[in-house]
Amino acid sequence: MARAKPLAHPHESVINRWQRGVAVYEAPVLTPWFVVFLAMFVAGTVIAAFRLLGGSLAPFAAMTDAYAWGVWKTFNVMALTALGSGALAVGLASWVLGRHHLHTVMRTALVTSFLFYATGLLGLLTDVGRPWNFWNMLLPWRWNTESALWEVAFAMPVYCAAFLLYENGPMVVERLWHARSDRVRGWVRTWHPRIRKTYPFVVAGAYVAPIIHQSSLGALMVLAGHKVHPLWQTDLLPLLYLVQALVCGFGAVIVVLMTSCLVWRRPLDVKVLGELADLMSWTTLAWLALRLGDVVVRGRLGDAFALDAFSLLFLAETAVIATPALLLRSPRLRAVPRALYASALLACLGGLAYRFIPTTLAYAPGKGSTYFPSVPELVITLGLVATVVGAFSLVVKRFAVLPAPLES
Amino acid sequence: MSLLSRRRLLRTVGTGLSTAAVGGAAAVAAAPAAAAAPREAPADAVGMLYDATKCIGCKACVAECTKVNDLAPDTELSGGLWQMPADLNPQTKNVIKLYADEATGRTSFVKRQCMHCVDPACVSGCPFNALAKGPQGIVGWDGERCIGCRYCEVSCPFEIPKFEWKQFNPRIVKCELCRHVLARDGQPGCTRVCPTGAVVFGRRDLLLADAKARIATSPGVYHQDRVYGEKEAGGTQVLYLSHVPFEKLGLPTLSERAIPAGTRHGGVLVKFVAFPVVLYGVFLRFFRRNWKVHEAEVARVKAEQGLEEQL
Amino acid sequence: MTHTETGPLAATETTDRAGTIGDALTRSGVSRRALLEFAGKLMVAAPAGLALAAKLSPDAVAEEIAKARRPSVIWLHFQDCTGCTETLLRTSKPDLGDLLLNLISLDYHETVMAASGKQAEAALHDAMTANAGKYVCVVEGSIPTKDQGIYMKLAGRPALDVLADVAGKAAAVIAIGSCASWGGVPSSGINPTGAVGVDALLKDKPIVNVPGCPPNPYTFLGVVLQYATAGTLPALDAEKRPLFAFDRYIHDHCPRRAHFDAGRFARQFGDEGHRHGWCLYPLGCKGPITHAGCSTRHFNELPEVWPIGIGAPCVGCTERAVAFKTPIFDKSAVPAPTPSAQYPEIRPETGTVSPVATGIVGAVVGALVGAAYVASKRFSTVPGDERVPGEPDGSSGGGADGGKGV
Repeated sequence: MARAKPLAHPHESVINRWQRGVAVYEAPVLTPWFVVFLAMFVAGTVIAAFRLLGGSLAPFAAMTDAYAWGVWKTFNVMALTALGSGALAVGLASWVLGRHHLHTVMRTALVTSFLFYATGLLGLLTDVGRPWNFWNMLLPWRWNTESALWEVAFAMPVYCAAFLLYENGPMVVERLWHARSDRVRGWVRTWHPRIRKTYPFVVAGAYVAPIIHQSSLGALMVLAGHKVHPLWQTDLLPLLYLVQALVCGFGAVIVVLMTSCLVWRRPLDVKVLGELADLMSWTTLAWLALRLGDVVVRGRLGDAFALDAFSLLFLAETAVIATPALLLRSPRLRAVPRALYASALLACLGGLAYRFIPTTLAYAPGKGSTYFPSVPELVITLGLVATVVGAFSLVVKRFAVLPAPLES
Repeated sequence: MSLLSRRRLLRTVGTGLSTAAVGGAAAVAAAPAAAAAPREAPADAVGMLYDATKCIGCKACVAECTKVNDLAPDTELSGGLWQMPADLNPQTKNVIKLYADEATGRTSFVKRQCMHCVDPACVSGCPFNALAKGPQGIVGWDGERCIGCRYCEVSCPFEIPKFEWKQFNPRIVKCELCRHVLARDGQPGCTRVCPTGAVVFGRRDLLLADAKARIATSPGVYHQDRVYGEKEAGGTQVLYLSHVPFEKLGLPTLSERAIPAGTRHGGVLVKFVAFPVVLYGVFLRFFRRNWKVHEAEVARVKAEQGLEEQL
Repeated sequence: MTHTETGPLAATETTDRAGTIGDALTRSGVSRRALLEFAGKLMVAAPAGLALAAKLSPDAVAEEIAKARRPSVIWLHFQDCTGCTETLLRTSKPDLGDLLLNLISLDYHETVMAASGKQAEAALHDAMTANAGKYVCVVEGSIPTKDQGIYMKLAGRPALDVLADVAGKAAAVIAIGSCASWGGVPSSGINPTGAVGVDALLKDKPIVNVPGCPPNPYTFLGVVLQYATAGTLPALDAEKRPLFAFDRYIHDHCPRRAHFDAGRFARQFGDEGHRHGWCLYPLGCKGPITHAGCSTRHFNELPEVWPIGIGAPCVGCTERAVAFKTPIFDKSAVPAPTPSAQYPEIRPETGTVSPVATGIVGAVVGALVGAAYVASKRFSTVPGDERVPGEPDGSSGGGADGGKGV
């Protein structure tokens, strides 16, 4: 209800230091780092093409029947899309909770989210053994609506290809206006109002889709039953994955914004960053309450302090997640750039760890089975991550994504 | 509360309530489906009863399984000499393993193949029902629907489904109780050739009764005087009797709850109609209200600073 | 794969001089017990697929044989070593005399006949005329075809002509031995004489191949007596071998099979395993790919008298593509693998860890941690410091477009 505050003065309400997205026009695209990312992207693409066209998974992946899911699914899809939940987290905060300060960072969140989701889907495509049978998605009577994986396979592409592209649309349309072609401007004149008119209705849906599939990602491992260590295995996994996605979403947006400011020499907006950090901290605390409450209710506290490998893993994971949340409760620290950056990094690390561990480290089909990604798996995974970074640096130089102060 | 007038508040609440009502109605309609009653095996469910005390480890079932299912014997470990799978694998739907306790000298064979769960995790997780329970509760695989996601391998508590990692057109391979010859032979290859009756085929209820009768007539012979698969993971259609602890034979200790039970949060209508509709309604309500704040601000910023909107 | 049993070829009546086998045996004073023993061995040698031997008891088989008229047999030798004849000669029961003179009417056989020169030619001519269209022609040895067949001549005629002549008037042809079946030893390597088997030359005659080097005599006698008793030939496989003797792999019935399944192998001649009679597979034994009954029908009526029994790996002499075509000591594939006598563990180990991959992960993680550390060091520790990070002078001159790029 805080939104009911009257909009008196710009600097006190919505308009802050970061007022608008402005493209980093003067920075060259083809930098040495960009070439490195491009090379990683090419390497990953070539190997993925060989894997898809050349046939079987065996020569490319170290996956076995015991560890049937490798990094493509467990890291690129199940972990990294948490970082891609920035659009959901910031969107909920700004549009639904009415934290209007955060509108200026929506574009950053949207581009990041789209890239993480798109590459996650590419990873999924590389991973499945019979991708041609995806056409079954067109036959509703073949859907197994009970399957969490079906929810993921349905909601994730829909979210990425429909909602995220739509939400990123205004940015592109605006860029087209500046192309200064009368024909294109005519087109923009037709379409921009239409997007604007439908925006609230579509975007409200854009928050439903990720809530469904981010929780489905957690539900995936519920079905693995006793194979996942009891410290992680719980019927609450869907909720925990979803809340952790929000945490990671906030964290990723902070990291991306601050890194961009560092790389492209832009001043910070501590107010916006502090607000994001505040939300991230509260979300994390809510998550911790759920997580620890679940462990206690299920009577697994003993396991947590058994001080065996899994217990240590659990304690380390919880510490990495809890530390930034607790630090950021201090309003003073929320204003310190270095503290913000380090906390957000830690939060992302902890979130990734929490979403990755049940699928791999705490997924223990039994003694004797091991999995470590093979070199081709890693090249593809790193290629996908490099695609995110490279594409982001490209997009921010061509579109008005990154927020900047008005005075410049 | 000045801007948010009473009328507006009422409208907000009203719209929220009406969407909730739609969703709630759908939820009520779906309630029977959402009921979390444990699933029962179909009345004509068939299965197998394996009695480890009777198995002599002759592997006739292993050889016959390969033959009946037209699989290439796995000779990789033996350099082409023998069919010598290390475990169930894409060429092996049925395997005989040996448990030997060095300390006590106690040994037992164990036959491993699909358990044909009453409420299988693999079927629950399979996105396009490629794995599905067919007639008589047999869990079969359909290559037209399978996308090769291998969720069945991740979810199966017994680690039964195997994936053809080396094939261009990889299949999921697992025991299908010889459903392709069941009409002709009346039973799967393994039970047909078993020389000692260590594994027999039949209706699940009859096999369960048989197993309990065996326990009753030979008290103290069988581990815990218990039939494995009667209740494990909601029950399986393949049942085990053993004189050594089941976990020593690689049969995991499982609760009586079917594994998919933890993932069934309401039926289709709740999950795909009621929940999203309510969520959408709530979001839309807040969104439209904030959209108006946004529009007012856009107009103000344009008037003050001459800047266009950036969505 | 299998051919159905052929219909009656011709009346089995031959010349009066032959009479029934029973008469002949009585006349020669061969005991009924000797015939019974032979009948029993024939039943063992042809457990399935030979109509003659498919009787309830040796008595029934002996009775059937005794009733039959002795078939006239003309035996031709081409490029051979006479080993196939030798294997017949070494059959101890019934002995040579019984066989030749009583079971069959051997009207022409160069090795064992007393006649020679023109007398021998006359005997051949007489036998062919007297039983034209009714006799069985047995061919031993391969037929040279190169250079108009000049590498092997009989009474001045090339083997090709003799075969065409004699086999042309025969009711059926039995190619005995691997040479007559598909060329055998003379056809190995560069095949200097263009040696081929009977099957390659005669297209319109019923032919039975009894390959082996040498073949088992009971297989040959089984075929001939089947013809004598019922006028039919036994069912054949794709290589025209009688199924009753060639329907199984040596490996399937090998007395050393238990050693194979348990993984007990002779690794070299004379080693411990070899002396203990373990499996000869690693020494090149072709048992797993060779169809023949040797493992149950040993030679000379003596137990363990066959190659594997005496410690020599099977060379696959009854297979067209194996003996004389592939090296004796090369290991064969196992076309029909069966489970071994070993058992997998309850939980076998799976998965591989590539050191390069761990290196890559280590490097990437290290680089990320390093980068994160370096990056965070460049952010100010002053609360509310909104200046451009990483610029010591703190100038905010970069602003929106002032970046120098990555």
